[in-house]
Amino acid sequence: MTTLLSIRDLVVKFRTHRGMLEAVRGVSLDIPEGTSIGIVGESGSGKTVLSRAAMGLLSGSNVERTGTVTFDGNELTAMTRDEVREQFGTGIAMIFQDPMTALNPVRRVGTQIAEGLRIRLGMSKQDATKRSAELLAFVRIPDPESVLKKFPYQLSGGMRQRVMIAIAIACNPKLLFADEPTTALDVTVQAQILTLLADLRKELGMSMVLVTHDLGVVANNTDYVAVMYAGEIVEQAPTTELFANMKMPYTEALLKSIPKIDGPAHVRLPVIDGRLPDPTDRPAGCGFAPRCTYAQAKCHSDHPPLEDAGDGHLYRCWFPLGQTIARKA
Amino acid sequence: MRKALKQMDKFTKTCVGWMILMVLFAAVGPLLPLPDPREADFESLGASIFSPGHILGTDSNGYDLLSNVVNGARTSLMIAFVSVVIGGTIGSTIGILSAYFRGRLDYFINTLFNIILSIPNLVLSLALVAILATSADPTIPTSPNRRVYVILISLTFVIIPILGRIARGATLTWINREFVLAARSMGMKDRHIILRHIVPNVLPAIYSVGFLAIGVVIVAEGSLSLLGVGVVDGVSWGAMIARVAGEFTFTPQSMYVPVTVLALTVIASNQIGDYLRSRLDLREGKI
Repeated sequence: MTTLLSIRDLVVKFRTHRGMLEAVRGVSLDIPEGTSIGIVGESGSGKTVLSRAAMGLLSGSNVERTGTVTFDGNELTAMTRDEVREQFGTGIAMIFQDPMTALNPVRRVGTQIAEGLRIRLGMSKQDATKRSAELLAFVRIPDPESVLKKFPYQLSGGMRQRVMIAIAIACNPKLLFADEPTTALDVTVQAQILTLLADLRKELGMSMVLVTHDLGVVANNTDYVAVMYAGEIVEQAPTTELFANMKMPYTEALLKSIPKIDGPAHVRLPVIDGRLPDPTDRPAGCGFAPRCTYAQAKCHSDHPPLEDAGDGHLYRCWFPLGQTIARKA
Repeated sequence: MRKALKQMDKFTKTCVGWMILMVLFAAVGPLLPLPDPREADFESLGASIFSPGHILGTDSNGYDLLSNVVNGARTSLMIAFVSVVIGGTIGSTIGILSAYFRGRLDYFINTLFNIILSIPNLVLSLALVAILATSADPTIPTSPNRRVYVILISLTFVIIPILGRIARGATLTWINREFVLAARSMGMKDRHIILRHIVPNVLPAIYSVGFLAIGVVIVAEGSLSLLGVGVVDGVSWGAMIARVAGEFTFTPQSMYVPVTVLALTVIASNQIGDYLRSRLDLREGKI
């Protein structure tokens, strides 16, 4: 299995008036061809910044990016803006969290889908319109011909997200970044969209990076999972391995805070106390230590390295779960 | 189109009607069976409104007021439309590009706009006219044509920062929308993103402020004339006001007529701008 996208030591910093904000701190991640990887973490953990920085979509004088990103044998971080742009659409594409703002409100759905086809693939107007209708049918939108002529505000949230997906897959990308594709949708539509993404991935042979805060979404839809916390990957493993044998207390806490259908009724849902460390002033030790129920003195003073537990299971914890010493606390 | 007309309220319809009438005057004014606006009728100096032969009366020089209003529409509206269209195009292009690419140049442009905007319109255009319209030979006054061009240039210059700042502000609100990022993630070039994604969203704001600017420019042209630097010898609404500025107590209609026409035109263009804004914002409002 060849590696499609390889991220090495990616660091993203934002210059703010309060000082340098380190949003992503040295993340390395490989995405093999044809697989689906989930990036999980709470709000502010850097997962969106990671995916955008990997694509090189963060621009501006207040952004600093170091590290390398290699896509399909080409080093994106060493390319000029124009060269990177050539990779977009046909190589990497992205779907966004909020389908309400990710479509241009004053342009018809049809022109927005056809735009990529015409500009990136050089299709004629007729061909692009025909293909747009096919794409809409492909993302399971009934009566695609009439939807093409509609404006985004005439469509429901789920429909819009389908249109977004149609736009993203229009040029047959090899890798699809899905940045919280279901967060803005309600649960039934969520399931439909996730099923659709899984089907499309199989049919088109794409790789997918699914960025989400929902471990439940990840469990059913990914081959690998990377858990992010405070700008770092704190645990990374094949999905089944992660859920069977989690090492990092943060992953466990995340899982515990999902309501369960067979859990006892009228019981307070466990929450993770505290909040993310200030990104402009990261603590010396483990970022999760102040909120960790198992934290010990060493956790507060020394930053844990990424350890390998075998089988591609990486974790960043001094006292991983499943070891007697951690249980003591 | 018919549907749009049906949904329009009466006031807006009246305003559109008035505007069309004025544009019609500007287009075919000289062809209408009216006395020559530059020819004085010495038989009836200062005739009041509804006198025979002069429906809107004459001023103290004997010039027919209706004929001057109709023929003056050409100069006044031409100055207004041309300066707003040219100034608006230049201004919004600068504004959109500046906001899109940000950086130091944007900071510089924004500061420059603010400095220009801090000078009152009239003072700025007055200064520009004073500089641009100087006659080479002080004994010969500059020709009316040249004066029109000078006023056109100075009013265009006044319009640039007004619409430039609006365009810049509107662009800034759209630029961070995810659809711009989505377009970039599809490999669209900056040119495409600006033309296909930014401009269509920024246009409503520019249209509506553009119509407001037309009103501003019409008033500015009148005010410049009153100060004696407008198209004083020419045929324009401002020139009508300027000619009678000192003596309108004797022939009040000669002041009321052009002022009323001017005011109604300004109100009409403001209302049309306002109406356009509310109509075009509807799509956004539904999101």
